[in-house]
Amino acid sequence: MTTPVLEIRNVSKSFPGVKALDDVSFAINKGEVVGLIGENGAGKSTLLKVLNGIYQPDQGSIFVDGHPVTITSPRHAFDSGIAMVFQEQSVLPTLTVAENIFLGREEEFLRFGLLSKKRMNAAATKELAKVHLSVNPAMRCGDLSFADRQMVEIAKALSLDTRIKGHVTILLDEPTSVLEKREADLLFSIVRDLKSRASFVFISHRLEEVLEISDRVYVLRDGKSVKELESRDATVKDLHQLMVGRQLHHEYYREARQAVPSATTVLEVQSLTKSGSFSNISFALHEGEVLGIAGVIGSGREDLARCLAGHTPFDSGSLKVKGEQVHFSAAYDATAKGVGLVPAERKVEGLVAPFTVAENMTLAALPKFVSGFRIRFADENAVARQWIERLSIKTPSTATMVGSLSGGNQQKVVLAKWRIAGVNILILDHPTRGIDVGAKEDVYELIRDMTAEGLAVILLGDTLEEVIGLSNRVLVMRDGEVTATFEAAPGNKPAQVDLVSHMV
Amino acid sequence: MKMESRTRLQTWLPLIVLVVLVLLVGLYDRTFFSAGNMLEVTADTMTLFLMASGVTLVIMIGGIDLSVQAVASMTSCILAVYLPRFGIFAIPLAVIGGVIAGFAGGYVSTRLRIPSFIATLAVSGVVLSAGNWFSETKSVVIPGELSQTYLTWAVGDFLGVPNEIWVGVAFLLVLSAVLGLTPFGRLVRGIGAQERAVMASGIDVDRIKIAAYTLSGTMAGVAGIVMAARLGSGSPTLANEFLLPAIACIVVGGTAITGGVGSIWRTFVGALIVQVVRIGMTFIGVSVFAQQIVFGFILVAAVAVTMDRAKVLVIK
Repeated sequence: MTTPVLEIRNVSKSFPGVKALDDVSFAINKGEVVGLIGENGAGKSTLLKVLNGIYQPDQGSIFVDGHPVTITSPRHAFDSGIAMVFQEQSVLPTLTVAENIFLGREEEFLRFGLLSKKRMNAAATKELAKVHLSVNPAMRCGDLSFADRQMVEIAKALSLDTRIKGHVTILLDEPTSVLEKREADLLFSIVRDLKSRASFVFISHRLEEVLEISDRVYVLRDGKSVKELESRDATVKDLHQLMVGRQLHHEYYREARQAVPSATTVLEVQSLTKSGSFSNISFALHEGEVLGIAGVIGSGREDLARCLAGHTPFDSGSLKVKGEQVHFSAAYDATAKGVGLVPAERKVEGLVAPFTVAENMTLAALPKFVSGFRIRFADENAVARQWIERLSIKTPSTATMVGSLSGGNQQKVVLAKWRIAGVNILILDHPTRGIDVGAKEDVYELIRDMTAEGLAVILLGDTLEEVIGLSNRVLVMRDGEVTATFEAAPGNKPAQVDLVSHMV
Repeated sequence: MKMESRTRLQTWLPLIVLVVLVLLVGLYDRTFFSAGNMLEVTADTMTLFLMASGVTLVIMIGGIDLSVQAVASMTSCILAVYLPRFGIFAIPLAVIGGVIAGFAGGYVSTRLRIPSFIATLAVSGVVLSAGNWFSETKSVVIPGELSQTYLTWAVGDFLGVPNEIWVGVAFLLVLSAVLGLTPFGRLVRGIGAQERAVMASGIDVDRIKIAAYTLSGTMAGVAGIVMAARLGSGSPTLANEFLLPAIACIVVGGTAITGGVGSIWRTFVGALIVQVVRIGMTFIGVSVFAQQIVFGFILVAAVAVTMDRAKVLVIK
């Protein structure tokens, strides 16, 4: 039997009140791609942080090439041949591509104490070739597209193999969550190319991808490793079941509950244009409707969503809410007209992490809870309790800091915030990003509840499947323009391939 | 429950430090414990507290107000110059001077998107000149009889307690209520903690920020008036050397310099700590030069303990 390049045995790690990892063992062999899946809170991030030296395990041991090691810091992990590609990008936008790739390793390019940019750029070009990225290494990372920055990040991790004598392991934490299919495919082909030189741990919520790329999959649940299985023997459905520990709901997107939109138009968009982002967008949104917008990165759909919510201005065109011409100069103008946005960046724009659950829930409707100058704390708590119950939010109390909840429960707090504010139009920008399967289903259920009550929803889904499954109608965007519109009645949903042909 | 005990420590530490300091100084010189002396020390602290109380709000939204000492000096001049002419109306006039200066700093910083330390530094320059203009660059004496008529609310006693303390405590209570009970107070905290989320929730963040700066200018104005009343004169350099102690007492009290966390009573306690350290060292006979060294250590220690540096990886 060969020695695994990286192995952990019986690792446990506790935090106050939670056993994040409970006797987990895990091994990865030379040239292997191992998938690691589990719901949020299952322990994936903790496991990665243990491997990356950010956390020290309470019990258990880590072996690199069969030798026991204690990993004390990310830098130490790197020197031991373990590199991590973070879910949230860590490239520095003001540095060049080359400077990012070799950050902290500048001594390799010193000549008489001075940094040789020429040599560094030349070396960077070699690293970039590994990920098939043809950008100038002297370019600033901030000028790259999001996907390209992700590739730079991966190139940075891969640069380890020129440096370490032994075999290297690269931890990919949700590397595809912001990549479109085409870019994800490219990443996979790169991973396959590099298998001879490196092993990979691949973490993703997209189970199809995990099965596609991995040789073996570990399933974590509640801090325990519940199953280790060969990818070729597994199906997405199996993985779903193992993760949640229960049968997958046979009707994942609640199509039966898809409302028939009323004829009342709540939002009318005409020839909306923002130069550099999108042009000439027109559509009408009806009461009770879910309007999906599909498109790859660069299609302009994210910018469109932000314009509709007043976060950024547009150049020309018109916007009518319930027949009334509106002009949004900031988000508060939009909320005043009953338009809310559930942002993709939940922790930055969705929530104030050190605020309590109740404080976050009432943030968009604070005047409703004020008499004179004073906030009516009792009313606020009562309403918060109602919504906690209604959305089955798992929180010890209304006074719990929202930052300590899981991603799914945080997202429910964001949704509750807009429901309490009484918006009629809710724009959901990747509402299920980074939340686990169980919480996703809850969010789908909530979307159906909202539309049943007459809310209109604009949905920028995390996956194409999600957009199709949830929407009444889907707009497809490419290069800032609407290229097609599909009706998506229950039982008569368009196929993904049809949409894709208009997306790329 | 390491985190909880840390939080508890952060909450109570400034008060513990204050008590320990008072005991230390008192052990050295028993007269320090006399009621008269205690009241005097507290009364002496109030102008510093008044000035720092408003800046606390600005620091809580993640900004800074560097104009407060110039504003206090200016309002002392307005008061001294106009008291003979307008009588009691010189007081609101002086306060309005503070309001305008605070508003200007907030407006420039938020609407023109300029870092607050630059905006308020610029305002500070303008206000300094305004103070010189009002006073014709001189120290202006407030005649004793006018002080008797209009300013006893700030310098007399009531129930044996100096009125400075009553004024200070009144503003402590009012501002604490504003911070703890009103939507404005909550949004101040929210903006300091995560401004973009507050903005995305449909809040006019700029308005709240401008209000915080305006309150800061107002409180600096009030501090200038009380200072002038105590000293019996107004001068364009009256509050010089007050800016650093003001910021120090906010930080020593445990308000996070990074925004989001803080309170007015913390600044009150912080101001007392600063004052006791100063007076105590004079009592003990530490030379003025050595005092600055001790003071520097205390300041750094306070920031180190009150700020959760584990979460703030990068310091700028």
